[in-house]
Amino acid sequence: MTGPLLASLLPLPVALPIAGAVAAPLLARLHRQLAIIAGVVTLCGAAAILLLEAPSVFGGLVRAHYLGLWTPVHGRALGIAFAADPFGLIFALTAAVIGAVLLMYTLSELGGLGPRELGGYACLFQLVIAALIGAALTADLINLFVWFEVAALASYGLTAFFLERPIALEATFKILALTTLASFAVFLGAGLLYAANGALNYGQLHDALARHVTTPDLIALGLLVAGFATKAGLVPFHGWLADVHTATSGPVSALFSGLMYNFGIVAIGRLALQVFGLGGGAPILGLLLTVGIISALLGAIMALAQDDLKRLLAYDTISQMGILAIGLGTGTAAGTAGAVYHLVNHALFKSLLFLCAGAILHRTGLTKLPEMGGLARRMPVVAAAFVIGAASIAGIPPLNGYVSLSLIHTGLLDGHQYLPYALMLAAQVITIAALGKAAWLAFFRRRAGDYPQLEPLRPGMVAGLAGLSACCVAFGVLPQFFLGSVMAPAAASLLNPARYASGVLTGLARLPALHLAFDYVSPGELLSVVACAAAGAAAAWAYLRAREPAPVRLLRAAHTGSVNDYAAYAVAGMLAVIAVLTLAR
Amino acid sequence: MTRPSIDDGRALARAAEREATERQPPHRPLIGALLVAGMAVALGVAMAGIPREHAPLPLIARYALEIAIPRWKFTEPVNEIVYGTRGFDTFGETFLLLAAVVSVVVITRPREKRRGYFGESAAGAREQRQDDPDVGYDATEQEARSAELREQDERASSGGEPAETPDATPLGTPAPETAEAMTVVVRTAIRVTLPILAVAGLYLVAWGYSPGGGFPGGAVILGVLLLVYAGYGRRRISKVIRPELIETLELAGAGLIIMTEFLGLVLKGSFSANWLPLAQELTPLSGGVAQLFSGSELIEVGTGLTIAVFALLGMTHDWARDEGGNGAGEERER
Amino acid sequence: MILVNYLASAALLCTGLYVLLTRRNLIKIVMGLSLMEASTYLFMVSLAYRAGSTAPVLAGPPAGKTARQLAHGNVADPVLQNFCLTAIVIGVAVTAVFLSVTVRIAQHYRTLDADRVRAMRG
Repeated sequence: MTGPLLASLLPLPVALPIAGAVAAPLLARLHRQLAIIAGVVTLCGAAAILLLEAPSVFGGLVRAHYLGLWTPVHGRALGIAFAADPFGLIFALTAAVIGAVLLMYTLSELGGLGPRELGGYACLFQLVIAALIGAALTADLINLFVWFEVAALASYGLTAFFLERPIALEATFKILALTTLASFAVFLGAGLLYAANGALNYGQLHDALARHVTTPDLIALGLLVAGFATKAGLVPFHGWLADVHTATSGPVSALFSGLMYNFGIVAIGRLALQVFGLGGGAPILGLLLTVGIISALLGAIMALAQDDLKRLLAYDTISQMGILAIGLGTGTAAGTAGAVYHLVNHALFKSLLFLCAGAILHRTGLTKLPEMGGLARRMPVVAAAFVIGAASIAGIPPLNGYVSLSLIHTGLLDGHQYLPYALMLAAQVITIAALGKAAWLAFFRRRAGDYPQLEPLRPGMVAGLAGLSACCVAFGVLPQFFLGSVMAPAAASLLNPARYASGVLTGLARLPALHLAFDYVSPGELLSVVACAAAGAAAAWAYLRAREPAPVRLLRAAHTGSVNDYAAYAVAGMLAVIAVLTLAR
Repeated sequence: MTRPSIDDGRALARAAEREATERQPPHRPLIGALLVAGMAVALGVAMAGIPREHAPLPLIARYALEIAIPRWKFTEPVNEIVYGTRGFDTFGETFLLLAAVVSVVVITRPREKRRGYFGESAAGAREQRQDDPDVGYDATEQEARSAELREQDERASSGGEPAETPDATPLGTPAPETAEAMTVVVRTAIRVTLPILAVAGLYLVAWGYSPGGGFPGGAVILGVLLLVYAGYGRRRISKVIRPELIETLELAGAGLIIMTEFLGLVLKGSFSANWLPLAQELTPLSGGVAQLFSGSELIEVGTGLTIAVFALLGMTHDWARDEGGNGAGEERER
Repeated sequence: MILVNYLASAALLCTGLYVLLTRRNLIKIVMGLSLMEASTYLFMVSLAYRAGSTAPVLAGPPAGKTARQLAHGNVADPVLQNFCLTAIVIGVAVTAVFLSVTVRIAQHYRTLDADRVRAMRG
């Protein structure tokens, strides 16, 4: 297939799941599970089309297509561009493939839902995935905003799905209020950028900003970063995240944590690194690093303090998003490649963990850790999957977390950022402690009596868990392959904004090759892994014995659960981001 | 039908104490004012720096104006941008509205029969018990519950069937609240203006070369249906607004939009390209694919908003009922 | 003066933001967010305006001008009006979902106080 023809197929991975979403309520009237099966088919189709693009784009190309053939005139683009660069393509592929796996899982776990409910579920799920793929591939600011809103609106319905749990309504209200606030910030930012530069296309914006960056441009960047950081769940925009996960079921939590929040990071990467570049002398990288460290530490500490399994995993998501921001904020090749690697890894291991937690909830009706116990004997598959997921987050070789975390460490050390490195290790120790606590309390502790209700696992669920675990292992034992073929080109795209911009405007550009070697058995990394694991286990043991320390109690008291307070934190964060970007030039 | 009982004294006192400790925290207005001031400063600085009314139009806007007649034979540049040149944005927006409509339907849905054990129900029941212990009702809740019971009593005592219109009940009775429809004056006015409004809505879409388009057309259609609902009552409108039919229409409209854009890929090699021949300008069919898109948008938006509004109005049954009180109203057949 | 419009939209946004940050009634929070939405519409439309311009409608141009002259002349910005339409549709959609959630909360919790509807803390 020729290049331009391939490029013109780029909107199809977005249109296919949307067509599936439109058909879902009608198919559900025929047979309740037909809607979900059709969803799996459309997502596999979308993944297939993306795989067609993969060889050329991952070889180091940026390929763009202007919808309706409205190509730029004298470097000014009115039409909407769809640009496949390695960074966007890997996220779109991840979304399509993991989305298909999650829908198959839903078929077996939630296949007993009523027909209309299941039709609505399939429709909303596919709309979220379509929006994520669209946002990853688009090269136009307003188009990004539209797909952001589609994902947000579909997520509200999925959050409120299980209405028999009253907290679902509370969680939906909070995500509504905070995401709407974020969408205003994004919209205002986009409007300000258009007013100041007359451009919506990323390529055109990049060129305009490379010439001259004004204060309204920086305020617009601050608003955009704050809006997408709310979607990503970075601190202090994170108030709604834990509540949403407490209230949703397994596959929906996996969708949100594994894919939807990553979209916020992808958007921040695009805007901060590829559109703005490092123009204007604004401390974008330092900002990302700071926000990342604060999120990583706060998420880990709050995770350690939680009693509810899904809430613990939700705070761990906040911590991992912080680590992604740290990776993007290093500005080095290793760090950026590590961040992209961690993006994919996070999708895999977080989906795995949330599916386990959802399976426990669905089969036993329990959510709180102190009530569980002894599940290793009773649900061995879930226990094994949970251990693999926890070990991945902990960064234990040969699983995938080890590779991405080591790359980010290397990136930090390459940039001589020793304090962030130390703080990131501290966050990892606390994360290991939190997951160790969860694993102990839920699975390995002895349980006195029997469970009141313990349904067996369905084969589809086992297949889903096994598939995701296998991917976690695969991404861990074949690092050089993935690094060389996928992650390094993605990092090259992020670190060469001028090439990306020219690719978007002219339709084709070649990215410079980036060679990254990964030393699997580097003694420094292995030592730090062992030290972190030991320290984490010790911290978990100490935490389970002792009372809650005062700082943790203060942090928990700061999360009041009120919409007004969380909105106040978000607005304060927005103002801080804007202040840092404009005043520290 | 038992009235809710309150443990006098103790429960009321506990409720009052709860109310007192949960008065407005003093820090909120202060911090709110500070943050708002900061936001005002940030936005003020940004807005002072962007171009104002004497700046030239951005080049892409000028390009959009210049291609309207030569490339689309369309005299309405805004519609040309919305449904033509940047049609993919509107494509996304259509499904944004679909996502919202399906979300509203999911949130307002009645319970359905399920197969198998769902741990979520057990968890929900347990959370319900923990969060809603029997501490009695505070003043506001007590008022709301007794008002509800009074309404149900009235409906039962007035013979079950509400009056058709207020004209049928004698003067002085609370007729406008219990009657289904409105007075003969309102109904006549609606009957007269309805065709005019409906035609106006269709005109907004059909005459695409003047300002309008599918979105406002759909909103007008929704307004027409709401007028009939308000004036004639639920029973009359439910003969027209059958949920299955309207849902099918909406999904058909959405499917039509996908087909319109997809045919651009098949016939012209790009996803939202124009594949219809361009009619003479200043005619209803000028603008090619933009008009088709606009018409499908009318169907999708009109029916989608109708579903959302009537789903909201038809939401009667609380999923997690509490013990001791009635659910909100009786379950109605949809 | 167009700067007045911009500042008015900023003031409206800040008013809506104040409501979101301090009011506990759920309906008031929804209204505050609606106010913020309206301010963004005002901002977009004001950004589109140019001094002495006419609407970007080429059918029936004002006396003495052809449509072609109008397209090259002093006309307001149609691209921003497109964004405004997008934002209006988003506003409608979000408000619909918001209100349905609020009615469900009122149905179940029998209160519209955000501080009473917060079982999840910490």
